[in-house]
Amino acid sequence: MAENKKMSVAEILAAARKADGGSSGEAEPPAEAAPVEAEAAPEAAAPETEAAEPATKPKPATGASGGRPSVAEMMAMARAEKGGGAKPAAPKPAPKAKPAAAAKPAAKKPAAAKKGPAEPRDTASILAAARKGNKPGPMSKSEAAAKAKDDPKGKAKAPIVVPPMPAKPAYAKPAAPAKAKGKKDEVDEGVRDFLWVGFAGLGAVTALWSLASLKFLFPNVRREPPSKFKVGFPDAYPAGQVQTKFKAQYGVWVANAEYNGQQQIYALKSVCTHLGCTPSWLEAEQKYKCPCHGSGFYKDGINFEGPAPRPLERCAIRIADDGQIEIDKSRTFQEEMGQWEDPACYVSV
Amino acid sequence: MTHGLTDAQFFDMVSRFLGPYYIALALMNGLAALYLWRSDQTKTWFRLPIPLTGKSLPITNVIGWLVFALLFTILAGIGGKSGGAQLLELPESWREAINTYTDPIWYSVITTVGLVVVYVFRGFFVKPAVAWIIWNLMWLFLGLSMTDSDFFEIVAKPDNVPIVMLVFLLAFFTWLGTYQAVINDRRKENGEPPMEKVNDEKVLVWPDLVYTELICMIALTAFLIFWAIALPAPLEEAASSVKTPNPSKAPWYFLGLQEMLVYYDPWMAGVVLPSLIVAGLMAVPYIDFNKAGNGYYTIKERQFSYIVFQFGFLEMWVTLIVLGTLLRGPNWNFFGPYEHWDAHKVEALNNVNLSEFFWEKMLGRSLPGTLALADISPSLDPSNWVIVPWLGRIVDPFLQFFSLLFGRELPGTLLVLGYFIALPPIMALTVFRKFYERMGFIRFMVMANLLLFMGSLPIKMLLRWIFDLKYLIAIPEYFFNF
Repeated sequence: MAENKKMSVAEILAAARKADGGSSGEAEPPAEAAPVEAEAAPEAAAPETEAAEPATKPKPATGASGGRPSVAEMMAMARAEKGGGAKPAAPKPAPKAKPAAAAKPAAKKPAAAKKGPAEPRDTASILAAARKGNKPGPMSKSEAAAKAKDDPKGKAKAPIVVPPMPAKPAYAKPAAPAKAKGKKDEVDEGVRDFLWVGFAGLGAVTALWSLASLKFLFPNVRREPPSKFKVGFPDAYPAGQVQTKFKAQYGVWVANAEYNGQQQIYALKSVCTHLGCTPSWLEAEQKYKCPCHGSGFYKDGINFEGPAPRPLERCAIRIADDGQIEIDKSRTFQEEMGQWEDPACYVSV
Repeated sequence: MTHGLTDAQFFDMVSRFLGPYYIALALMNGLAALYLWRSDQTKTWFRLPIPLTGKSLPITNVIGWLVFALLFTILAGIGGKSGGAQLLELPESWREAINTYTDPIWYSVITTVGLVVVYVFRGFFVKPAVAWIIWNLMWLFLGLSMTDSDFFEIVAKPDNVPIVMLVFLLAFFTWLGTYQAVINDRRKENGEPPMEKVNDEKVLVWPDLVYTELICMIALTAFLIFWAIALPAPLEEAASSVKTPNPSKAPWYFLGLQEMLVYYDPWMAGVVLPSLIVAGLMAVPYIDFNKAGNGYYTIKERQFSYIVFQFGFLEMWVTLIVLGTLLRGPNWNFFGPYEHWDAHKVEALNNVNLSEFFWEKMLGRSLPGTLALADISPSLDPSNWVIVPWLGRIVDPFLQFFSLLFGRELPGTLLVLGYFIALPPIMALTVFRKFYERMGFIRFMVMANLLLFMGSLPIKMLLRWIFDLKYLIAIPEYFFNF
């Protein structure tokens, strides 16, 4: 027998199973035989057992009052059985508890409901109690009541005995770095090198791939007209006329008109200063008119109707060496900034 | 769509549309009559005495709708016949009148007055019989207008079909909500609980709601597929950065914003006002202090919220979408619904800024210029300084901007500042005194400013239409226009 040793969980459970098997094996026939009696049993049994049962077996008694033997009961029984055999009737549950236990199939539910949460029990507390109980044996009723009462608290306070950690096996011990000179370590080094190569390769591929996707954002072919282009000789622009034939290709109107009392040839960018739509030159009304929000501009590009807040922009214009007019769209001149005074934005006629 | 068609070909095409159209309307009325009859909702309008017999024949709503169905059947017979559409035109004088009264000023005045009338007499307009007659008249108006080629061109364009649907759906749902609100208000007066509380049965999400949603989902998908097949999206020529279609219209749901861009600087109409719409809608639950109307329709208990919402939604958002769709043509000019879209229509829209109006027209002097450090005194000219010659480059733009803001643009600046700074306290002291007491300072200021921003749009539109006013504050030098 293992009186001196504390019981392990496995032992306790094994004992509990044994006790359960024994009790149910015996309990079933009477239950079938006398279901009426069994139904009546819990009410009658509960006070009776508690009052009459001697303090020798407190745990089975409480369990019996609840009908089916609870785990705690089983534990207690197991402990009683193993811990020194203090009771003569150890192998089996108490005879008094028997009828109540027998009533378990029928009376389980009402009994449980009746009993309520008087004795909260969980595995941890049972185990703690089992481990603590060095001295299993008779317990007085007051003792049992006290124990049942501060069971939840006792559970919290129960010292938890932690078994000593097993010694680390040799293979789990970290290799001493000082001795890293063997053949095995050279293999590690090789693996590490290989990993480095792998990660470097992965990084390089990712970088290349990112660059490639960045490149993808920029078109291969830019259908953007050159910013500098020639539009013919000045005498092709009679006074008072707006030439619209370069609008489709270059996005400019070339006009020969009077501005500030001076006859000029100038290039206006065909981008509305409101939101960037392309206005159209209406010959009949002598104005540039935007189809998006109805902004209108005079022939010289000054805004006069609709929401456009400022005049159209002029492009740089000059007479090239061959006598043709050359327009540079990359330089623009804004009237509201006073930039139309700049001789680079018109050709005097 | 109608380009290159002779009149006869056009009317043939319209006839093919009008036949099924009027038959559908006849069916709609017939089914309504059948439903009312079978569900015992017959109502006697009046009794027609039959001569000699001394008896009288009750004229019920069922008979009324059956008469409507009969009329639409006759119209289907006339309009559906080849070339018969010609007989179903609106009189020329009517179309002329409608064209005249859809210029922006009349259009906004009429829609506003119309909404006010409908609101004030909502008890009459929500009666099912009245609403049903208006509903029929709306469809009849659409059918009769379709025989006009200019109208047909706009309305039958696949892009614009959703707008037509929107108008009808909106009319229906506005009626539905108002109808229930009117009933609830009436019940409240009699001390009864609102309709929603009477039949307060709980419905489960699963299966009741989920099944309904599933069926709606399937039906809607089927409808969209049918729509996509029946009215293919119009494809245009390849996009070009130097060629803009004329007129160039935003998707229909953005047409209200596009219309806003006509009156405001892009920065204002494209960024500030749309953000304020979103932020304002998000702020509504926090500035709303009226606990009534929770879970049931009501107008009387939430008059202010109702009016503000309907003004913002029906008047500002939907009306502008309809205006942008139906009334804006080439060069973004206004066109009546039966007017030909003439790209060369000349409209004098010579807009002037308030500063020009004030300084040049009223005071007869030139616009005040800008100010730089050197102008104040030659000794301040930074180019003369040895130590910090770059200071002028930093200070001058600020000086220039503020000298424009409080110099040349002073009248507009004062008006705008007065509008946004002086008006809220005045509102708190007068009209909105009770609101202010209940809302507290911050909530009231948020609400007042949101209201004023909403009000600024129609004010600016009216100023543009009536006075050709371009901007109140115009500082194009710094892209600051209001």
